[in-house]
Amino acid sequence: MFEKIAKIIAEQLEIDDLSNIKPETSIMNDLEADSLDAVEIVMAIEDEFGIEISDEDAEQFKNIGDIARYVESRQA
Amino acid sequence: MNFQTPLCQQLNIRVPILQGGMAWVATASLAAAVSNAGGLGIVAAGNAPAQVVEAEIIRTRSLTDKPFGVNVMLLSPFVNEVVEVVCRQQVPVVTTGAGNPGKFMELFKSYGAKVIPVVPSVALAKRMEKQGADAVIVEGTEAGGHVGELTTMALVPQVVRAVKIPVIAAGGIADGNGLLAALALGAQAVQMGTRFVCSVECEAHHAYKEMLVKAGDRDAIVTARSTGHPVRVLKNKFTRDLLRMEKEGISQEELEKMGTGRLRIAVQDGDIENGSVMAGQIAGMMQDILPCADIIHQIMEAAGRQLEMLNQLKGVTAP
Repeated sequence: MFEKIAKIIAEQLEIDDLSNIKPETSIMNDLEADSLDAVEIVMAIEDEFGIEISDEDAEQFKNIGDIARYVESRQA
Repeated sequence: MNFQTPLCQQLNIRVPILQGGMAWVATASLAAAVSNAGGLGIVAAGNAPAQVVEAEIIRTRSLTDKPFGVNVMLLSPFVNEVVEVVCRQQVPVVTTGAGNPGKFMELFKSYGAKVIPVVPSVALAKRMEKQGADAVIVEGTEAGGHVGELTTMALVPQVVRAVKIPVIAAGGIADGNGLLAALALGAQAVQMGTRFVCSVECEAHHAYKEMLVKAGDRDAIVTARSTGHPVRVLKNKFTRDLLRMEKEGISQEELEKMGTGRLRIAVQDGDIENGSVMAGQIAGMMQDILPCADIIHQIMEAAGRQLEMLNQLKGVTAP
């Protein structure tokens, strides 16, 4: 799951080197995404996994590991 | 000619013109004048406390029986209280700025408000549509105040293609030709800020309005780009100081601090040297301070004339 999420984020942010993306990586603090990038990432993940992520839930994500765990729990 | 679009019917307005929710500038006096003239006037909540916003809503209702809106600034320290007031007062139209209004959407919809977020990108427009927004305001970087990267010309048609809800074009529009251009891009209405600052009913200090009238095409510049929250304002002593310090590399906190309270002193005290005189790139076109009814009348007339001229071109063939 983490790898799938990392790949989506890398594509959205045009990051070539996936080794920079770890579960503890913060999209906004470490990858320098802005709030509009974050919206695009959330929507790309929604499309990929066929789920809906509310803004309240999205605001809770601290790092990419959080996102992966969230998507996993929603798919279960 | 009224250019009645489906959005006009949805909002119950006569002409497809909204007035921007400019902090400190968009008071009840301006909003009511625009609504009375057939457009949609909008009271700006800005960073004002909820009771101030409520008083302005009540004052607007005393000046007009037409629909009007409130712009909720999502980064306001009082945003939750302001949302409460807007709901209690059942304001017919709510526009939002500076972020994603998703978490308030249900509250607004529960009393039947039309919710129209300002969006600076295709993705946010799509997300707002999904969450139940009735329309979106697509604001290009030509606008005054806090701005995004994309231009009105490039962003409006991209959002029009991406969503089914009506799109309102904003940024760089101040006359009939601009209105017509926006409709041609697929928008169903325009939102204008700078043009309505230069109106009789606008309660901004006279010096502020005069500075816009005197401004040339290159006078509206972007400051604070390095903070990630760029702001378009007219060049003055304050912007020169700010740009110099930005170049010298002062910290983001200091930069933000330097900007605090500057809009208020420009709008209310008329300190156009040390204040932040927010205006769009179209400020160069401002030549007069007119009643809102005249502004709207002139725009509709000019749009009609320009449309006829374009229509004549249709039949013209190459010799």
